[in-house]
Amino acid sequence: MASDIMDLTVMWLGLRAHVDQLAEERQQYVDFFEQSPEAYVVTDLDGTIRELNGAATDILQKRRGYLRGKPLTVMVALDHRREFRRRMLGLAERQSDQRSWRSVVIAAGERIEVTFTARPIERRDGGLCWLLQAVQ
Amino acid sequence: MNTGQTPEWLLTTVTAVRDLMIKRLEAESLNEDAKREMEMALEELDVMWEELQGQAALLIRENERYAEFFEYAPDAYLITDAGGNVREANQAALDLLKAPRDAVVGKSLTEYIAIGDRVTFLTRTVGLMVGATARSLAWQALIQPAEGDVVTAQFSVRAIPLKKSGVGGLCWLIRPAA
Repeated sequence: MASDIMDLTVMWLGLRAHVDQLAEERQQYVDFFEQSPEAYVVTDLDGTIRELNGAATDILQKRRGYLRGKPLTVMVALDHRREFRRRMLGLAERQSDQRSWRSVVIAAGERIEVTFTARPIERRDGGLCWLLQAVQ
Repeated sequence: MNTGQTPEWLLTTVTAVRDLMIKRLEAESLNEDAKREMEMALEELDVMWEELQGQAALLIRENERYAEFFEYAPDAYLITDAGGNVREANQAALDLLKAPRDAVVGKSLTEYIAIGDRVTFLTRTVGLMVGATARSLAWQALIQPAEGDVVTAQFSVRAIPLKKSGVGGLCWLIRPAA
């Protein structure tokens, strides 16, 4: 019984150390993503927002909770949506190599010109990683 | 986002339960009641064990998600260690340097800087590592990819302290100049 307890303890401490290491790794990724001054958005292949960082919420002027799960296109001005979708789908379906284009978003009621640059995620279910840059 | 910390109560509780079990054994008071208590304690341990395993599985999934973002970010990113050697490079960085991963990771980043810019590049990098310059800075330098002509690029670099080891690294964002 005593040796069982010892085994249990060793296993527990091993798992605990593993979880701590994973948590540290996760924190480093979170810091990298969150503290970046660049505005990044990760979407599904159809443009549904999975994650975005603080710099992206600054550009889009919406809360993160509001944007997660919504299509990125909802932020694009109506007169630019068709073009935006066409380019996004071309990239998602690998029919186009055009990774960067200008469009217009509506942020806090204002029209803002933004350069969108996207790169496909070539793993599992795929997706798109976006860089948003407000045009000065 | 939560911090991903493992709750302290989990370890505290498991330690307390284990101590109880040991005391029972030492006292040799293994009557029926004591046996039942010990069985319950073991069941409790099982539950906590599963909880910790669940936490590990969740963190692994989240880390994979963030790792995907790093790997496929539209910008070229490199992480170098205190010695200036590349620890990680994403796909956009490999595209920019026109080199496969094994030709970049483990090598000095300066190998991909045009010879005329290397001294300035090293001076600035060392300044950042020893804290003589700001925590982040940006400058232009010429990249010498593994193939083809040199490319003028904007380097933005920030220090990234690594918590447990205490050894600092540098995170590089490299963009071809417009």
